Amino acid sequence: MSGSSSIGEDGGENPVEINVVPMVDVIFCLCLFFMCSMHFKQLEGKIETWLPKDRGVNAGPPASVVLEEIRVFMRWTESGTVRKVGNRSPAGSDEELMAVIVQMADDYKRAGKSEFPVLIDALGDVPWQDVIHVLDMCKVANLERIEFAAPMEYKPPGGGGPK
Amino acid sequence: MARKKGPAVGGAVSPNLIPMIDIMFLLLLFFMLSADMGQRELEDVMLPHAVSIKKDDEQDTPGKERLTINVYHRYAQEVKCSEFAAGRVCRETVHWRIGVKGRDFTDPENLGGMLEADAKEFRTDPANPMISERKVMIRGDTTAPYGLIQGVMNVATKVGIYKIECGAARPADADEPKKGGGH
Repeated sequence: MSGSSSIGEDGGENPVEINVVPMVDVIFCLCLFFMCSMHFKQLEGKIETWLPKDRGVNAGPPASVVLEEIRVFMRWTESGTVRKVGNRSPAGSDEELMAVIVQMADDYKRAGKSEFPVLIDALGDVPWQDVIHVLDMCKVANLERIEFAAPMEYKPPGGGGPK
Repeated sequence: MARKKGPAVGGAVSPNLIPMIDIMFLLLLFFMLSADMGQRELEDVMLPHAVSIKKDDEQDTPGKERLTINVYHRYAQEVKCSEFAAGRVCRETVHWRIGVKGRDFTDPENLGGMLEADAKEFRTDPANPMISERKVMIRGDTTAPYGLIQGVMNVATKVGIYKIECGAARPADADEPKKGGGH
């Protein structure tokens, strides 16, 4: 594209002069349009949290009931999300929480149990980031089976109790 | 004393536009290639951070497409929310929207109807006729109340969808996750 002489200059050898100024204007407008419409996307990934097939609100009673579970309760307060495992006292930090979870998992394994899901039982007003954070820490600790507690659906008497 | 004359200036000076046109074309090419003009299946959601995320490349694989459900706060033009604008958690349920391919499915009945129709063609196991192999990705905003995502999971479960994936973003300063020992 570059030439030895500027386009637009009076050149005695080139009888056809091309005015490129409007083209530059149009290109400026296009650049402005694409600059305004561009945005940087965050690097996304996924965390697989496949729900159990044999349980859930759609399924009937499961073939085998799993009694061993590591239930993580989460509720939101003004000072942040409070997390506790089972009936233990609330965990003050991520390390404390994971220490309890890992300890319980080790205890189940020593007892010969193979199915001990981590059940996240969070109230509806807990921020999603906090739930993902607990899920993430469990994945890092190689606890792959993580489930979410479903809210109990109330059915009036005569229509069958909740499953 | 004779005044020193400056150099003679002859005629108008016209700038050389050719390099500028080159640069403009390059810039234009860059922005055109990076522009995404397609139908937005991915809404503008600030995903929660997680280090154990898996690379998401199945969406581009034919036959492995999945349904993406976005849970995000309504835009500032629709509702004024000082909590969300300040980056805090907004617990007003009416401020949040559940969207699929640009359409609003905040109503659980509408969402259930759409998921039921979508899950139907992925029910391939005759032994479990209600179980659907359809994959669903839930992209929830980091400040969204968990109850909204829980509601989406409930609706998905009711129609037999169990393959749920949660969208997350890797923190900028995070390394690859280190697996814990003993399990």
